[in-house]
Amino acid sequence: MSTSTIILIVTGIVLILIYNSLIHAKNQVDNVFAGVDTILKKRYNLIPNLIASISKYMEHEKLLLNELTKLRSEATKAHLSSDEKVSLDAKFSSTLSSLMVNMEAYPELKADKNIMHLQHTLNEIEEQISAARRAYNQAVTDYNNALEMIPTNILASFLKYRKKELFQIHESERKNVNVKELFNS
Amino acid sequence: MKTLSELTDFYYNNLFPVLEELEKQRKAIKQKFIFITIVLISSFFTIFLLFFSQNIHTMEFLLTTISITIAILTYIYKKLSSNFVEDFKNNIIGPLIKNIGPNLNYLKNKHVKQNLFERSKIFTSNIDKYEGNDYVYGQVDGVKIELSDICAQKKYQDDNNRKSWETIFEGIFIIAAFNKEFKSNTVILPDHAQNVFGSVVGNWLQANNVSRDSLTKLDDPEFEKEFVVYSQDQIEARYILTHSFMRRILEFQKKSKQKIHISFIKNHIHIAISYNKDLFEPSIFRSLLEYKISMEYVQTLHLCLGVVEELKLNHKLWSKR
Repeated sequence: MSTSTIILIVTGIVLILIYNSLIHAKNQVDNVFAGVDTILKKRYNLIPNLIASISKYMEHEKLLLNELTKLRSEATKAHLSSDEKVSLDAKFSSTLSSLMVNMEAYPELKADKNIMHLQHTLNEIEEQISAARRAYNQAVTDYNNALEMIPTNILASFLKYRKKELFQIHESERKNVNVKELFNS
Repeated sequence: MKTLSELTDFYYNNLFPVLEELEKQRKAIKQKFIFITIVLISSFFTIFLLFFSQNIHTMEFLLTTISITIAILTYIYKKLSSNFVEDFKNNIIGPLIKNIGPNLNYLKNKHVKQNLFERSKIFTSNIDKYEGNDYVYGQVDGVKIELSDICAQKKYQDDNNRKSWETIFEGIFIIAAFNKEFKSNTVILPDHAQNVFGSVVGNWLQANNVSRDSLTKLDDPEFEKEFVVYSQDQIEARYILTHSFMRRILEFQKKSKQKIHISFIKNHIHIAISYNKDLFEPSIFRSLLEYKISMEYVQTLHLCLGVVEELKLNHKLWSKR
């Protein structure tokens, strides 16, 4: 076997390995995002019920509740890209967080068992979402690294792969919305 | 659960009179054993000098004599100390455990079942010999827990039919109900590969470990430095291993000063702490009144049963209440 044939075979194998590693990183992002999406949907499904239950107590928060309803209907639209979902989740989480803080001003909410139930469920889903965001960010970081690092970046630019957006995890979000603390305060 | 200082106070205030009695027993056994040892060694040595010293196989006879002497002495040691060990466990370890938690029970000759040890998937080698003792079971702060000393070994046989044993694990094995529900398996192991081969090669080796599930990279550098995590579900692994929980595991490892392996399977946490020795076994050659020895028993028990508080396993989520 001539030297040029050996070089050709080795180059071919290296290219296949690089291509496979890129595909693996891209699929990993998609797989994890499917998990993120499922948990986000669980939270979105809970919102109409929560709004219906608290609106009678929180009449002065109509603006916030409307904003939440609007964001929810946007986020549950079909054919949204993963980047759009990431950005909507950031807005939704921030609005929900404001609502949680404002709920402190309504002590009568503590007496409503249905609201308490919803709050606890929401709290657990928030923990799952936090885990899903971290898993997604790790997968996206690996994928984005592959897009920037030599030699995978050459093939990635040829395949027109684009960098993906990370979920923004604020310090306050590292500590999940703790409804128990809100109600006990 | 009682604090370490409360437990130490109990040990010295309530168990000290019993310890003094046991100490007398220990001294008597020690004297008896030393006397038997001297007689035995002198007898064997005399027999050897009289009958075998001129033999051409002197070395072989000498080695055989030494082996026989050691075997006989080991047997005598076990026989002589068995009652003392039993008394020590009944009168010291048992009450100590009851003082830690009134809902805990102690069976000195039982151990965590082998199927539960294997279920943990912490160690992947086939087990040929499984034994243990000092089984504690019950509840701490409403959390179900069981633990015991375990020694799991694998047998090797060479071409000449010679057997040898490799210890897979020796130490304390703990199982407790976990405060979150999960469906997948997640295993946390000490990070040897990255420590030996560096982060790039080590990471590549870990990512391609065929005997484990997918490598899970976590966002806590200190935790990542100490441990490697494999899981069937990337999201669920992070649901279990929150930032605060990773910190608690690191703290627990620092306190234990030993290598720890952890797994989360079937809504339970499994913890293997490698001590590489059989714990809670008093020696007739060391005083029971020695502070260091006493504190080792107290601290080990407090650490193992304190895992519920340390890892906050008693902080139940609403859905698990």
